[in-house]
Amino acid sequence: MSDKLRITRAAQLETLAVFRDFIDAACQRRGIDSATCYDLKLAMDEACTNVITHGYAGMNPGSLILDLEFAPQQVVVTITDFGHPFEPYEPDAPDARAGLEDRDTGGFGLFFIYKTMDHVDYQTTEEGNRLILTKKLNWTVPA
Amino acid sequence: MFQRLRLRQQPLKVAPDPEELSVGQLIGDYALPISIRGINGLPADAKRRIYRALIPASLLTRANINPITWNGLDGNPQVILAAEVDKGVVNLAIKDAPDASDVFFNVELADNAFNGIDLNLLLLNDPASPRFRTDYDDEGKPTYFGTVRRNLAEDERAMRAGLAPGQIRAGLSASQLFFQQLDTFLSFLSHHAVTLEPLTYASAWVFERRGFAYMRGHKLMDDIQREFQPGGKLHAALDGSTPFRQPDQWRTVRGRAWAIQDGILSALDTRWNDVRMVKQVGRHAGVNTFPDAIY
Amino acid sequence: MDIKQEDRGTATVVSIVGSLDAMTSPQLTEFLNGQLAEGRANLIGDLAALEYTSSAGLRALLNATKEARQRGGDVRLAAVQPNVKKVFELSGFTSILKFYSDVPTAVASYKG
Repeated sequence: MSDKLRITRAAQLETLAVFRDFIDAACQRRGIDSATCYDLKLAMDEACTNVITHGYAGMNPGSLILDLEFAPQQVVVTITDFGHPFEPYEPDAPDARAGLEDRDTGGFGLFFIYKTMDHVDYQTTEEGNRLILTKKLNWTVPA
Repeated sequence: MFQRLRLRQQPLKVAPDPEELSVGQLIGDYALPISIRGINGLPADAKRRIYRALIPASLLTRANINPITWNGLDGNPQVILAAEVDKGVVNLAIKDAPDASDVFFNVELADNAFNGIDLNLLLLNDPASPRFRTDYDDEGKPTYFGTVRRNLAEDERAMRAGLAPGQIRAGLSASQLFFQQLDTFLSFLSHHAVTLEPLTYASAWVFERRGFAYMRGHKLMDDIQREFQPGGKLHAALDGSTPFRQPDQWRTVRGRAWAIQDGILSALDTRWNDVRMVKQVGRHAGVNTFPDAIY
Repeated sequence: MDIKQEDRGTATVVSIVGSLDAMTSPQLTEFLNGQLAEGRANLIGDLAALEYTSSAGLRALLNATKEARQRGGDVRLAAVQPNVKKVFELSGFTSILKFYSDVPTAVASYKG
């Protein structure tokens, strides 16, 4: 059996810190380095923020389910929600030449997810909207 | 936050036109969901074979009902199957005796607009426990589980006897058994989830324990938990103004459920409405909005 | 998240402690806008104790920088932790923002 963890909370902004702490604790127990752990938290945070602010807009928010699956070569973070489905697609890179005045300071969420994760998949089914984020590990988890 | 989003369309794999359910579909792509309407179009015997898998056999044998024939010891039928052709609804009811006026088990499943299955109704009553007339008001009009009108005198008696709102008898502890059965039934039909609208706070709490998450209303449940704590608005509204708003009621699931049935959520400018839950087949969501709860 | 503020000569040091996300960053925006409204445009973000930021925190800092520069000031960032620094790098804003190894160096940058 693989190493799986799950936490479910209401889709509200307070949940972001709860989920980050959950990832922190899981990474620490498995000796995963701080930079990798930060990437996992950042991608999760950006995805969940989107669900909370857009996916459940106009209704009493439902659940957000965070699944973590640790394997020797990768970590899979799955976020399930039951709000409006939005497919995240890879955005263009920000224009590095433009000055601060000309640049849009928003819209980094998706970009960060694609930058920090190795694979991004999205499914909408009768069991909810699922964003599946895969992060490869560059080392082997000790047995 | 995301600024550019694309709305995802409907599920990728949908049930085919339900009238077309045939042996062809049963031996065809095993991953294609089968609808209730599709099953209802089958010949009576085939229909019954399929819906038999929805009732835990031990629930029947416990009441001396043959799990295959659905007949009691005297050979009379005690299971009522309503699965009309051209309708996407199935209702199964079990009586503990052929002449019993009430059913002790009643389940209703229906196709929903999203190619999924709704659990419209689940009743599990202990037929040996006292009967309360909470389902009809003084004038004999149905209360629809206390959602449309109430029988206050009977509600109060039921509450004191330890029932939850919407119940006419004490519950039969078989919901875990039923939901295991339902998971198997749904996967047999190639469905990945079941959705429902919990009638009361108490039923939502039970469904959490059975592995359901919220499509709507998880925040409401968190708000209820927070505001029932000392210092909260719901705690303050347990002011003894009605029999259903006694000060100690915040401590238990049933106490809270009766106060909510009595309209206490107006203290939060809301009401028990539009709560929707979902269970993923084979998975437990692990939701617990009332930690260390006393039922 | 906690915010502390301290005037150092012509500069104002704003220490941000904890995590910046969509929940907490509106507080930072409100705080920084308040500083700017009071005429404190030479701001220093002391990020030594900022353990985490998402794009929401990044946006709050970028918008404040934009605003400060329009008023002839700036938001200069000091003692940024490596993980947080990486978020700035990913965004491509490291060339536009000014980073300092510690608060005294950032304070000194406003003199002269």
